[in-house]
Amino acid sequence: MSSRLFRFPLPSATALRTFGVYSSGGLFALGIWFFLDAAIVSKYANASLIHVRFVDWIPSICSILGMIVINSIEKARLSAESFSFSGSNDAWKARLVLFLGFALMAGGLAGSVCVLVLKYVVPGYEFPTLYFGVANVVANSLIMLSTVVLWVSQNFEDEYNYNLAL
Amino acid sequence: MPHAGLKTIIALSFVLAIGFLLVILSSALYGQYSPLLVVATYLFAPLPNAICSRYASSYNDDFMDSGSSASGVLDLGRFLTGFLVTMGIALPAVLAHADVIQWGAMAMSIIGGLLIYGTIIAFTMFFQEESDF
Repeated sequence: MSSRLFRFPLPSATALRTFGVYSSGGLFALGIWFFLDAAIVSKYANASLIHVRFVDWIPSICSILGMIVINSIEKARLSAESFSFSGSNDAWKARLVLFLGFALMAGGLAGSVCVLVLKYVVPGYEFPTLYFGVANVVANSLIMLSTVVLWVSQNFEDEYNYNLAL
Repeated sequence: MPHAGLKTIIALSFVLAIGFLLVILSSALYGQYSPLLVVATYLFAPLPNAICSRYASSYNDDFMDSGSSASGVLDLGRFLTGFLVTMGIALPAVLAHADVIQWGAMAMSIIGGLLIYGTIIAFTMFFQEESDF
Protein backbone atom coordinates (compact mmCIF):
# COMPACT_ATOMS: atom_id res chain seq x y z
CA MET A 1 0.00 0.00 0.00
CA SER A 2 2.03 2.94 -1.22
CA SER A 3 -0.57 5.69 -1.08
CA ARG A 4 -1.49 5.74 2.54
CA LEU A 5 -2.25 8.81 4.52
CA PHE A 6 -0.31 8.22 7.73
CA ARG A 7 3.29 7.17 8.04
CA PHE A 8 2.53 4.30 10.40
CA PRO A 9 0.39 1.48 9.04
CA LEU A 10 -3.19 1.60 10.22
CA PRO A 11 -4.95 -1.71 10.82
CA SER A 12 -7.36 -2.75 8.12
CA ALA A 13 -11.12 -2.72 8.60
CA THR A 14 -11.36 -6.49 8.86
CA ALA A 15 -8.60 -6.63 11.46
CA LEU A 16 -10.31 -3.90 13.47
CA ARG A 17 -13.59 -5.75 13.18
CA THR A 18 -12.06 -9.03 14.36
CA PHE A 19 -10.40 -7.29 17.28
CA GLY A 20 -13.67 -5.56 18.13
CA VAL A 21 -15.61 -8.81 18.23
CA TYR A 22 -12.96 -10.51 20.38
CA SER A 23 -12.84 -7.60 22.81
CA SER A 24 -16.62 -7.52 22.93
CA GLY A 25 -16.59 -11.13 24.08
CA GLY A 26 -13.95 -10.25 26.65
CA LEU A 27 -15.94 -7.31 27.98
CA PHE A 28 -19.03 -9.50 28.20
CA ALA A 29 -17.13 -12.12 30.18
CA LEU A 30 -15.74 -9.40 32.45
CA GLY A 31 -19.25 -8.12 33.15
CA ILE A 32 -20.70 -11.57 33.81
CA TRP A 33 -17.83 -12.48 36.11
CA PHE A 34 -18.06 -9.22 38.03
CA PHE A 35 -21.60 -10.12 38.92
CA LEU A 36 -20.83 -13.79 39.57
CA ASP A 37 -17.99 -12.59 41.81
CA ALA A 38 -20.49 -10.68 43.92
CA ALA A 39 -22.76 -13.71 44.10
CA ILE A 40 -19.95 -16.13 44.99
CA VAL A 41 -18.45 -13.77 47.58
CA SER A 42 -21.91 -13.38 49.07
CA LYS A 43 -22.13 -17.16 49.40
CA TYR A 44 -18.63 -18.03 50.60
CA ALA A 45 -16.96 -15.01 52.21
CA ASN A 46 -19.78 -12.87 53.48
CA ALA A 47 -19.17 -10.48 56.35
CA SER A 48 -22.80 -9.54 56.85
CA LEU A 49 -26.29 -10.99 56.81
CA ILE A 50 -27.14 -9.35 53.48
CA HIS A 51 -26.93 -11.80 50.58
CA VAL A 52 -27.25 -11.60 46.81
CA ARG A 53 -30.79 -12.75 46.14
CA PHE A 54 -32.83 -13.17 42.99
CA VAL A 55 -33.62 -9.44 42.98
CA ASP A 56 -29.95 -8.78 42.21
CA TRP A 57 -30.05 -11.22 39.31
CA ILE A 58 -32.96 -9.59 37.47
CA PRO A 59 -31.04 -6.59 35.98
CA SER A 60 -28.27 -8.81 34.60
CA ILE A 61 -30.80 -11.21 33.08
CA CYS A 62 -32.55 -8.25 31.41
CA SER A 63 -29.24 -6.92 30.08
CA ILE A 64 -28.20 -10.29 28.63
CA LEU A 65 -31.60 -10.81 27.00
CA GLY A 66 -31.40 -7.30 25.56
CA MET A 67 -27.92 -7.98 24.19
CA ILE A 68 -29.11 -11.20 22.51
CA VAL A 69 -32.11 -9.41 20.98
CA ILE A 70 -30.10 -6.43 19.73
CA ASN A 71 -27.37 -8.47 18.11
CA SER A 72 -29.70 -11.04 16.56
CA ILE A 73 -31.24 -8.47 14.23
CA GLU A 74 -30.14 -8.45 10.63
CA LYS A 75 -28.58 -5.01 10.28
CA ALA A 76 -29.60 -4.64 6.63
CA ARG A 77 -33.26 -4.66 7.65
CA LEU A 78 -32.93 -1.49 9.68
CA SER A 79 -32.58 1.03 6.90
CA ALA A 80 -35.93 2.11 5.52
CA GLU A 81 -34.73 2.60 1.98
CA SER A 82 -33.57 -1.00 1.70
CA PHE A 83 -35.24 -2.85 -1.12
CA SER A 84 -37.72 -5.42 0.15
CA PHE A 85 -39.20 -8.28 -1.81
CA SER A 86 -42.38 -8.55 0.19
CA GLY A 87 -44.00 -5.38 -1.01
CA SER A 88 -44.25 -3.18 2.03
CA ASN A 89 -41.08 -2.45 3.88
CA ASP A 90 -40.42 -4.50 6.98
CA ALA A 91 -38.14 -1.96 8.59
CA TRP A 92 -40.67 -1.18 11.31
CA LYS A 93 -40.53 -4.79 12.55
CA ALA A 94 -36.78 -4.66 12.90
CA ARG A 95 -37.03 -1.28 14.60
CA LEU A 96 -39.67 -2.55 17.01
CA VAL A 97 -37.53 -5.53 17.98
CA LEU A 98 -34.48 -3.27 18.28
CA PHE A 99 -36.43 -0.93 20.51
CA LEU A 100 -37.43 -3.88 22.70
CA GLY A 101 -33.78 -4.89 22.95
CA PHE A 102 -32.60 -1.42 23.88
CA ALA A 103 -35.44 -1.10 26.38
CA LEU A 104 -34.39 -4.40 28.01
CA MET A 105 -30.79 -3.25 28.17
CA ALA A 106 -31.54 0.20 29.54
CA GLY A 107 -33.96 -1.39 31.96
CA GLY A 108 -31.20 -3.69 33.13
CA LEU A 109 -28.80 -0.81 33.76
CA ALA A 110 -31.46 1.29 35.47
CA GLY A 111 -32.56 -1.70 37.50
CA SER A 112 -29.04 -2.35 38.71
CA VAL A 113 -28.73 1.27 39.87
CA CYS A 114 -32.13 0.89 41.48
CA VAL A 115 -31.03 -2.22 43.36
CA LEU A 116 -27.82 -0.48 44.43
CA VAL A 117 -29.70 2.51 45.82
CA LEU A 118 -32.71 0.78 47.34
CA LYS A 119 -31.04 -2.31 48.75
CA TYR A 120 -27.57 -1.09 49.73
CA VAL A 121 -27.25 2.71 49.86
CA VAL A 122 -30.50 3.74 51.55
CA PRO A 123 -30.14 1.28 54.48
CA GLY A 124 -26.58 2.62 54.83
CA TYR A 125 -24.37 -0.44 54.46
CA GLU A 126 -20.58 -0.15 54.51
CA PHE A 127 -18.24 -1.25 51.78
CA PRO A 128 -17.85 -5.04 51.86
CA THR A 129 -21.62 -5.28 51.57
CA LEU A 130 -21.94 -2.26 49.31
CA TYR A 131 -19.68 -4.08 46.84
CA PHE A 132 -22.56 -6.37 45.82
CA GLY A 133 -24.52 -3.41 44.51
CA VAL A 134 -21.51 -1.70 42.92
CA ALA A 135 -20.50 -4.93 41.17
CA ASN A 136 -24.03 -5.22 39.81
CA VAL A 137 -23.87 -1.74 38.27
CA VAL A 138 -20.37 -2.40 36.88
CA ALA A 139 -21.52 -5.71 35.38
CA ASN A 140 -24.49 -4.16 33.63
CA SER A 141 -22.38 -1.27 32.31
CA LEU A 142 -19.82 -3.71 30.95
CA ILE A 143 -22.50 -5.78 29.22
CA MET A 144 -23.85 -2.59 27.65
CA LEU A 145 -20.35 -1.56 26.56
CA SER A 146 -19.81 -5.00 25.08
CA THR A 147 -23.03 -4.65 23.08
CA VAL A 148 -21.94 -1.25 21.79
CA VAL A 149 -18.52 -2.57 20.77
CA LEU A 150 -20.07 -5.55 18.98
CA TRP A 151 -22.58 -3.33 17.19
CA VAL A 152 -19.98 -0.81 16.06
CA SER A 153 -17.51 -3.44 14.90
CA GLN A 154 -20.20 -5.25 12.93
CA ASN A 155 -21.08 -2.04 11.18
CA PHE A 156 -17.42 -1.63 10.24
CA GLU A 157 -17.71 -4.64 7.99
CA ASP A 158 -20.71 -3.32 6.13
CA GLU A 159 -18.83 -0.17 5.26
CA TYR A 160 -15.87 -2.24 4.14
CA ASN A 161 -18.00 -4.39 1.88
CA TYR A 162 -19.64 -1.30 0.50
CA ASN A 163 -16.25 0.14 -0.39
CA LEU A 164 -15.29 -3.11 -2.04
CA ALA A 165 -18.47 -3.21 -4.06
CA LEU A 166 -18.04 0.24 -5.51
CA MET B 1 4.78 -17.27 8.75
CA PRO B 2 8.10 -18.15 10.33
CA HIS B 3 9.54 -21.52 9.53
CA ALA B 4 8.51 -24.13 12.08
CA GLY B 5 11.22 -26.61 12.83
CA LEU B 6 12.01 -29.17 15.46
CA LYS B 7 13.25 -26.50 17.86
CA THR B 8 9.88 -24.80 17.76
CA ILE B 9 8.10 -27.99 18.72
CA ILE B 10 10.50 -28.62 21.58
CA ALA B 11 10.22 -25.06 22.88
CA LEU B 12 6.44 -25.10 22.63
CA SER B 13 6.19 -28.39 24.48
CA PHE B 14 8.46 -27.01 27.21
CA VAL B 15 6.25 -23.97 27.60
CA LEU B 16 3.16 -26.17 27.67
CA ALA B 17 4.72 -28.38 30.33
CA ILE B 18 5.64 -25.35 32.44
CA GLY B 19 2.09 -24.04 32.12
CA PHE B 20 0.60 -27.35 33.24
CA LEU B 21 3.16 -27.53 36.07
CA LEU B 22 2.15 -24.10 37.34
CA VAL B 23 -1.56 -24.91 37.24
CA ILE B 24 -1.12 -28.28 38.93
CA LEU B 25 1.17 -26.72 41.57
CA SER B 26 -1.39 -23.99 42.23
CA SER B 27 -3.92 -26.71 42.98
CA ALA B 28 -1.78 -29.28 44.74
CA LEU B 29 0.25 -26.94 46.95
CA TYR B 30 -2.87 -25.66 48.66
CA GLY B 31 -4.94 -28.85 48.53
CA GLN B 32 -7.78 -27.11 46.68
CA TYR B 33 -8.30 -28.40 43.17
CA SER B 34 -10.66 -25.82 41.69
CA PRO B 35 -7.91 -23.94 39.74
CA LEU B 36 -7.77 -26.96 37.44
CA LEU B 37 -10.91 -25.54 35.82
CA VAL B 38 -8.64 -22.96 34.17
CA VAL B 39 -7.07 -25.69 32.05
CA ALA B 40 -10.48 -26.78 30.81
CA THR B 41 -11.37 -23.18 29.98
CA TYR B 42 -8.25 -22.58 27.95
CA LEU B 43 -8.51 -25.93 26.18
CA PHE B 44 -12.05 -25.06 25.13
CA ALA B 45 -11.16 -21.48 24.14
CA PRO B 46 -10.02 -22.07 20.51
CA LEU B 47 -12.84 -24.56 19.92
CA PRO B 48 -15.74 -22.20 19.03
CA ASN B 49 -13.54 -20.31 16.62
CA ALA B 50 -12.45 -23.48 14.85
CA ILE B 51 -15.96 -24.92 14.63
CA CYS B 52 -17.51 -21.68 13.43
CA SER B 53 -14.85 -20.96 10.82
CA ARG B 54 -15.22 -24.48 9.45
CA TYR B 55 -18.99 -24.09 9.39
CA ALA B 56 -18.74 -20.70 7.67
CA SER B 57 -16.34 -22.02 5.03
CA SER B 58 -18.71 -24.88 4.21
CA TYR B 59 -21.55 -22.41 4.23
CA ASN B 60 -19.87 -20.25 1.63
CA ASP B 61 -19.00 -23.13 -0.67
CA ASP B 62 -22.14 -22.78 -2.69
CA PHE B 63 -22.14 -19.26 -3.97
CA MET B 64 -25.88 -19.02 -3.65
CA ASP B 65 -26.19 -17.24 -0.35
CA SER B 66 -22.95 -15.63 0.68
CA GLY B 67 -24.75 -13.07 2.75
CA SER B 68 -23.99 -11.91 6.25
CA SER B 69 -25.18 -15.16 7.86
CA ALA B 70 -21.75 -16.74 7.57
CA SER B 71 -20.07 -13.67 9.03
CA GLY B 72 -22.58 -13.78 11.85
CA VAL B 73 -21.52 -17.34 12.61
CA LEU B 74 -17.86 -16.28 12.50
CA ASP B 75 -18.59 -13.44 14.89
CA LEU B 76 -20.31 -15.82 17.28
CA GLY B 77 -17.22 -18.00 17.34
CA ARG B 78 -14.93 -15.04 17.98
CA PHE B 79 -17.24 -13.71 20.66
CA LEU B 80 -17.25 -17.06 22.47
CA THR B 81 -13.48 -17.35 22.17
CA GLY B 82 -12.98 -13.90 23.67
CA PHE B 83 -15.45 -14.82 26.39
CA LEU B 84 -13.60 -18.01 27.28
CA VAL B 85 -10.15 -16.37 27.28
CA THR B 86 -11.32 -13.63 29.62
CA MET B 87 -13.08 -16.24 31.74
CA GLY B 88 -9.79 -18.07 32.19
CA ILE B 89 -8.36 -14.95 33.84
CA ALA B 90 -11.52 -14.03 35.72
CA LEU B 91 -12.22 -17.45 37.20
CA PRO B 92 -9.14 -17.67 39.49
CA ALA B 93 -9.60 -14.02 40.48
CA VAL B 94 -13.20 -14.70 41.51
CA LEU B 95 -12.19 -17.86 43.39
CA ALA B 96 -9.43 -15.95 45.21
CA HIS B 97 -11.74 -13.07 46.05
CA ALA B 98 -14.26 -15.50 47.52
CA ASP B 99 -11.52 -17.05 49.72
CA VAL B 100 -11.94 -20.41 48.01
CA ILE B 101 -8.26 -20.40 46.90
CA GLN B 102 -5.23 -18.42 48.04
CA TRP B 103 -3.89 -15.38 46.15
CA GLY B 104 -0.66 -17.24 45.33
CA ALA B 105 -2.68 -20.03 43.78
CA MET B 106 -4.54 -17.42 41.76
CA ALA B 107 -1.32 -15.92 40.39
CA MET B 108 0.13 -19.32 39.51
CA SER B 109 -3.01 -20.57 37.80
CA ILE B 110 -3.44 -17.36 35.79
CA ILE B 111 0.17 -17.43 34.58
CA GLY B 112 0.00 -21.16 33.86
CA GLY B 113 -3.26 -20.78 31.99
CA LEU B 114 -1.88 -17.95 29.87
CA LEU B 115 1.18 -20.09 29.04
CA ILE B 116 -1.07 -22.98 27.98
CA TYR B 117 -3.26 -20.76 25.84
CA GLY B 118 -0.22 -19.03 24.33
CA THR B 119 1.14 -22.44 23.38
CA ILE B 120 -2.10 -23.37 21.65
CA ILE B 121 -2.17 -20.06 19.77
CA ALA B 122 1.50 -20.30 18.76
CA PHE B 123 1.02 -23.90 17.64
CA THR B 124 -1.90 -23.04 15.39
CA MET B 125 0.02 -20.02 14.04
CA PHE B 126 3.09 -22.10 13.20
CA PHE B 127 1.33 -25.11 11.73
CA GLN B 128 -1.65 -23.57 10.01
CA GLU B 129 -0.05 -23.84 6.56
CA GLU B 130 0.21 -27.62 6.65
CA SER B 131 -3.13 -28.34 8.24
CA ASP B 132 -5.18 -25.98 6.11
CA PHE B 133 -6.94 -27.60 3.14
